[in-house]
Amino acid sequence: MFRPQLASRAVSRRLAGSRAASYSSSTCSRTLLRNPTRVVPPTFSHAKVGWVSRRSHYVDGLSSKYNRAKPHLNIGTIGHVDHGKTTLTAAITKVLAEQGGAMFRDYSEIDKAPEEKARGITINSAHVEYESANRHYGHIDCPGHADYIKNMITGAAQMDGAIIVVSALDGQMPQTREHLLLARQVGVKKLVVFINKIDQVEDEEMLELVDMEMRDLLSTYNFDGENTPIIMGSALAALQGQTPKIGREKILELVKACDEWLEIPPRDLDKPFLLPIEEVFSITGRGTVATGRNERGVCHKGDEVEIVGYGARIKTTLSGIEMFKKELDRGEAGDNMGVLLRGIKREQITRGQVVAAPGTIKSVSKFQAQIYILTKDEGGRYTPFTESYSPQLFVRTADITCKLGWPEGVADAAEKMVMPGDNVEMTCTLRKDVAAEIGTRFTLREGGRTVGTGIITKIIDYA
Amino acid sequence: MFAARRAAQRTFAARLYSTESPKKSLKELVAELRSHADVSPIEAGQALKASDMDVSRALLWLCNFRAESAVKKAAKVEGREANEGMIGTAVLSPGATSAKPSGVRAAMVELNCETDFVARNDLFAQLLDDIAHTAAFMSEPADSDKFFHPFSLDVLRDAPLLSKTAPEKNGKSTVADAMRDLTGRVGEKISLRRVLTVVRDPFPPSQRDIALRIASRVHQSVNNPRQGRVGNLAVLALKSPQLANILGPEAFQADLNKLCLSLGNQIIGFPTTSVRSPTGARDEEGALYDQPFAMFAGEGNDQPVQTFLRNWAAQRGLVESSEQEGGLEVLEFAKWTVAESI
Repeated sequence: MFRPQLASRAVSRRLAGSRAASYSSSTCSRTLLRNPTRVVPPTFSHAKVGWVSRRSHYVDGLSSKYNRAKPHLNIGTIGHVDHGKTTLTAAITKVLAEQGGAMFRDYSEIDKAPEEKARGITINSAHVEYESANRHYGHIDCPGHADYIKNMITGAAQMDGAIIVVSALDGQMPQTREHLLLARQVGVKKLVVFINKIDQVEDEEMLELVDMEMRDLLSTYNFDGENTPIIMGSALAALQGQTPKIGREKILELVKACDEWLEIPPRDLDKPFLLPIEEVFSITGRGTVATGRNERGVCHKGDEVEIVGYGARIKTTLSGIEMFKKELDRGEAGDNMGVLLRGIKREQITRGQVVAAPGTIKSVSKFQAQIYILTKDEGGRYTPFTESYSPQLFVRTADITCKLGWPEGVADAAEKMVMPGDNVEMTCTLRKDVAAEIGTRFTLREGGRTVGTGIITKIIDYA
Repeated sequence: MFAARRAAQRTFAARLYSTESPKKSLKELVAELRSHADVSPIEAGQALKASDMDVSRALLWLCNFRAESAVKKAAKVEGREANEGMIGTAVLSPGATSAKPSGVRAAMVELNCETDFVARNDLFAQLLDDIAHTAAFMSEPADSDKFFHPFSLDVLRDAPLLSKTAPEKNGKSTVADAMRDLTGRVGEKISLRRVLTVVRDPFPPSQRDIALRIASRVHQSVNNPRQGRVGNLAVLALKSPQLANILGPEAFQADLNKLCLSLGNQIIGFPTTSVRSPTGARDEEGALYDQPFAMFAGEGNDQPVQTFLRNWAAQRGLVESSEQEGGLEVLEFAKWTVAESI
């Protein structure tokens, strides 16, 4: 039944290819990276081949059409190695497969956590996808802390929510603390808890205790302990199709809890308008035109806008929108367009600034970021550096020299070094201010080579 | 364990003075038990049920249970691979830190676990710190040309665990017991991969013109500044006829500290494999002395390390001119990365 859709798979592959190309110009658009097609593995194939090897081919075997009708959400499982993360993931695909919402992937397929390259950076993670009644999920499972951090920085599979898996036998472990801190660090705001292996605990009262303890712990780490859904079941029972009461039904309950509790991040179309300026032209008789690819939101002819960055904050009006040499009344996220800016001289604006809905984005001059420094095998530096290292920072279309430093309170900051392959939290002081916000991605380059990539976690100084 | 027993005594004493209290719910009892001992509610519940809801008996039950379950868990994880972890260093005596002659005593340990979540946990860091301290403490000075000696893993496993930060617990359990306890707590295989120590007594009065100094540095540490995914110990020698006069002033010690840190960074940050190039060849990649001293923050960091050290020694009066031998030398170093092949 999937055969007729073969062609559409090819199209999505081609799209993936063009995304890779757009990265090489080192703009860091979140939209591109968040695109759901990125996390569509060939789940619907009958041949069991790893995703990575399959991705390298173009059209290889059966595939199905990706349906955009349902909103997409990326989630991940975090938990102790023995608490059944992988079994749970397998069980979810199994239960949802019965409803046509997934292709069953067994334990061994998921457990391998293949090495893959996202933006040239090697990450170990297993990807699975499935659909509930009203959502499409991309599900990642990484073996370690460092892999989740790399996922966050590169945006390979930004987690919008997470399932914390805890065995009813052990309850929380000392490292559950690290799991929750990680979830915080990668920007997960809401969690769902799955208490696994309840078939091995006979006493109802004990389960209440685990529930109580998890809620306490969640509150300690600033999650909503009171309202977070906690589902108790047995992933193994669901996987083996036994005792539906604690197996299959609980998996469905878990998926339902994800549907209801985890929030869909706003779609790019729903965000405020932002157009990074790529080029500026002056058209005789009409005025100044800025061109670029609309990153997010919608703009209309006649809208008030603001030009932000490089010391500027200029209010103006969109007196015209153009695409393919035709005039438009409305531009959308993803459009390559030109905007005619009323009363602006060509010299007033430049590449690297953004045209945005007024008051929606500010220009920053210093921020803190989580940065991954590429290894030399990934094309990065060969040698370590210490603070005050000053590479070029590329954010959207802007290109600025920045100085790296350690956040306040870091011990022996003067002597602390960063080696290729390190994940670090550092501050970036910009030579010129630029429009940016928390969650904005950037790359660091030096002499034409990408040495690092990062995501802004805190704004320190506005321009 | 000790704390638990003490708490048990306290509860017992309290019970003598209070009249029979009305029957408490399991939740309240669990909360009470957990205020005395660091246990999960599940364990607390099990302990209470196994001991007729008596808190003091439950505490004793817990001690036994903990030990048993640690043994079981350790058996379960026995065959698994532990490829994460940390390198820990312990420097009990860094050597030349004042005019007074002193020996050197230090150790470096690699402790492994299964995920970096556990490696980042405080319990793991504490155990590694204690093991490194124990190894450095237990080592005997060896009379040989080499400074670094591998420490027998079997001897260390059976040694009583000595803690620098909590000496009251010293000798309560062996290193192996403590590792098994941690396995019981975190459910991961905890294994000791390699240990090396460097121990030297102070030089006799006839050799008062020489002093040793340990430089230790780690990279990618989480909370503990003595531990990281890469660790390094180096032995430096200072030689000068006026050594005692030079070593004394604080300004010199501050300079020496900075130099030690920079040397540690240099060894870790570059693919350093030896101090000097093999005779006749020039190995700019791997030989420390031929690398430009890029990790020194300050003037002269374009010079090769050897030239830099000679100038450094001459500027501080260890030798009369930078052409002279002696002054300051790096004698030996060891650099370890977690889970590298050995």
